[in-house]
Amino acid sequence: MNTPGTPHTPRIEVPFDADHAQQAVEYGYGREWSDGLPLVPVTPALVDRFLATTPRDPAEVIGRMEHLGRSCTVELAAVNAAMAGCAPAHFPVVLAAWDALMLERAARGGAWQSTSGPSPLIVVNGPIRKELGFNSTGGALGPGFRANATVARALGLIVRNAFGLRPHGLEQSTQGVPGRWTLCIGENEEDSPWEPLAASTGLGAGTPDAATATLLRTCAYVDNRHTADPEQVLWDLADAMSATGSIIFRHTACALVLGPDHARMLADAGYDRRDVQQWLYEHAGRTVADLRRAGKDGVGEDNGVRYATGTAPDAPGGEEFVRFLPSPESIPVLVAGSHGAAMSMVGRIFGAWSGTAVPIVRSEPDPNPLQEA
Amino acid sequence: MPSTILDPTGGSSPAAPDDGRPAPRSTAVRLRGARIGLLENTKHNAALLLQELGALLTAEHHVAALVPYTKRNFAVPVPDGLLHELADGCDAVITGVGDCGSCSGSAVADGILLERHGVPTAVICSDAFTASADAMAELTGDGDFPYLTTSHPVASLTPGQVRERARQLLPAIVARLTCAAPGAATAAQGAIGPGACDGTTSTAAHTAVTGGAR
Repeated sequence: MNTPGTPHTPRIEVPFDADHAQQAVEYGYGREWSDGLPLVPVTPALVDRFLATTPRDPAEVIGRMEHLGRSCTVELAAVNAAMAGCAPAHFPVVLAAWDALMLERAARGGAWQSTSGPSPLIVVNGPIRKELGFNSTGGALGPGFRANATVARALGLIVRNAFGLRPHGLEQSTQGVPGRWTLCIGENEEDSPWEPLAASTGLGAGTPDAATATLLRTCAYVDNRHTADPEQVLWDLADAMSATGSIIFRHTACALVLGPDHARMLADAGYDRRDVQQWLYEHAGRTVADLRRAGKDGVGEDNGVRYATGTAPDAPGGEEFVRFLPSPESIPVLVAGSHGAAMSMVGRIFGAWSGTAVPIVRSEPDPNPLQEA
Repeated sequence: MPSTILDPTGGSSPAAPDDGRPAPRSTAVRLRGARIGLLENTKHNAALLLQELGALLTAEHHVAALVPYTKRNFAVPVPDGLLHELADGCDAVITGVGDCGSCSGSAVADGILLERHGVPTAVICSDAFTASADAMAELTGDGDFPYLTTSHPVASLTPGQVRERARQLLPAIVARLTCAAPGAATAAQGAIGPGACDGTTSTAAHTAVTGGAR
C-alpha cells in the first residue's frame, strides 16, 4: 500500500514554479476562456513573439461577426493561438488557416451557432509542414503532434473568445462533431502521386506553403485493403458518400482524404485527381426509391430543403438515380496517412468548399522558428 | 509573483450595451385595417405557419393586407434594406420560425430592430432554442424582449398540424401586437402573460405556447 509522499513515480526537478503553473491553469478555467483543456497564460512578451512572425498589422481585423458586434484582430488571434499552445512559429499558419476558413460561406454566417456543430478541416501544404512539425503521415487525423493539435485548437479559441460563441449559449450544436478544433493535417505530398492540394486550387508554384480549409460534419473510414482493382476502391468510396443521412438539401458535399496506398493504386491505373473527382461525382448518390424510404425525395422550391413527398418507394420512377455531389470540383481530394493498410477517409462537408488555398506568409528574414520557440 | 496576462476576448462588450434604460419598444397596433408583414426565414414550415396566421388575422381580426417577405440568410439579422422595407411597408410584423441555433437568435434580433423602428413585431421561436434567443436578445440590447415560443419541432409538422399550431399561437400573437390581455392567462390557452409589451414584469421574457399538434 502506498503512503503519501512515497516516491513511486520518478521525480524531476524543473526550473520553474509548478504550483504557479497550476494556478495559471485554474485561472484560465475560471475565466471561461477554455475549450475544456488547460490554457497557456499569455504574457505581452509572449504575444510579441507571435506578432513578430507575421508582416501583418496587429490591428488588422481578420474576422467579424457583425450580428454579434464582435471581431477578431491579428493581435487577438495571436493571444488565442498562444493560449492554445502554439509556438510563435506556428502563428502564420494559424492566420492562413483562419483566412482559408473565412472563405467558407458558412463560417462567415451561422456555422459557429449551428445545430450541426461543424468541425473545420485544415490542410497544410509545402515545406513548412516538415519545418514546423505538422504530421502528414501515420495518424495524421489523430492526436500526438503539437503543430497539428494547437493550430486547430487556436481556431476554436478564437471563435470562443473573440466571437463569444460558447456551447449552450449562442453555440447550439445538437450533438457536436468529433474532431472539432482538432483537425489540422499536413498533406502527405511525398507519397501523393498528384500535385499538392493547394497547387490544384490554382495557387502558383512559387507559394508552396499554404493552408486550405473546409467544414466537416463527420468523417467515415473506407477500409479496402484486399482488392487490386481501383474501380472497386472508387465504388467503396462513392458508397461512403451515398448515405441518405447526410443529405438535407438538394446536394451534399464531400471531402476525400486518400491513404497513400489507395492514391497510388488509382494513379497507377491512370487516374489523376480530376478523374477521381469525376468518378465520384457520377457514382455517389441513391435511387429515388431510397430517398422516398428516407423521407427525402422532395426538394423545397423556395429553400432547397429535402422533405418527404409521401410517395411510396415502389411507385413508378423509383429506379431513377439521384447524384448527391454538386460537382466534380466541389470535392477536395488530398493524400494523408502512411503506407500500411489501404484505407481512406471520407469527410462530409458542411455547406460548400471554397476551393481556394491561402498562402502562408511569414516575416522576413525568417528566424530559426522552432529553436526560437 | 503577480504578473500581467492578456484577455483573449479582447475585453469585448455587447453590441448595444445596456444603459439601464428600458429598451425602446413600439406601441400597440390596431389590427383592423392594418398591413401585416409576414417575414419568413426559409426554415421548413415557416412560410406556411405565417400564411396560416395571416389567414386567421384576416378572417378574425380584419387586417387589411398581408405582405410576405423572405429573409434569405436565416443565420443573421435582416439586412438594412429589408429592415427599412418592412418598417416603411408594414404596420406590424410576424416573423419566424427561430428553430435553429443561429436563426432563433437572429429572429429575436429582427424583432428588437423592427421595434426600434416603431414596428410592433411578434417573433416566433421553437422552445428548444431559448438559450440562443435569450443570449441574442441580451447582445442586441434588450434582454427582456418578449418573444413567443412554440413547441419543438416545427419543421416536421404536417400542413394540418401547422394550421393547428397557428390556431394555438394566434391569441399570443394578437396579444403581443396589440398589448392586449395582460394578466394571468395560461400558456395552454395560448395567451400572453404580463409584460406583453414592456417585458419588464414577466419572469420569463418569452411567452410559451404549447403545441398539442405533434
